Amino acid sequence: MDFSKLDSSDMQQFYSQEQQLAMVNEMVSKLTDACWDKCITGTPGNKFSSSESTCLSNCAHRYIEMSLLIMKKFQSLQ
Amino acid sequence: MDSFSSPSPGSSQQMSAQDLKKQLQSQLALEYAQQFLETVRGKCFEKCITKPGSSLSGSESSCISRCVDRYIEATGIISKALFGGSQH
Repeated sequence: MDFSKLDSSDMQQFYSQEQQLAMVNEMVSKLTDACWDKCITGTPGNKFSSSESTCLSNCAHRYIEMSLLIMKKFQSLQ
Repeated sequence: MDSFSSPSPGSSQQMSAQDLKKQLQSQLALEYAQQFLETVRGKCFEKCITKPGSSLSGSESSCISRCVDRYIEATGIISKALFGGSQH
């Protein structure tokens, strides 16, 4: 097919939307992977215990907090 | 005007921008699903198949079923924690 005939501004908008969505998906799956290992230590039950779900939620928040700290740390090193 | 925003009749070979977007989106969704499946497979194998026997036991099967459900739930909890707007 002829891509040169595509409406470029429309496709660019579509592209950046999809890129953003992919970033969000990647972030969620990366954190779920890491926090699952930290928080779900036993055999998975029929439902999460409240400590497990709190741990998952805290884990995500702390990861963000840590990212900011590390970013600041690196900025101060420059 | 280009041929994608106003598809001319008779050019059935040409794909509209809409079709292209849909195709890209379904490819991305498939890619994401495959990745997710791979992760869940790894996590639940680790959790549930601790000592591989000659066949999958009933307790292993039910562990796998619960593990898949919990992993999906965990994804939701993480997603809500990140984008649900609550700050802790």
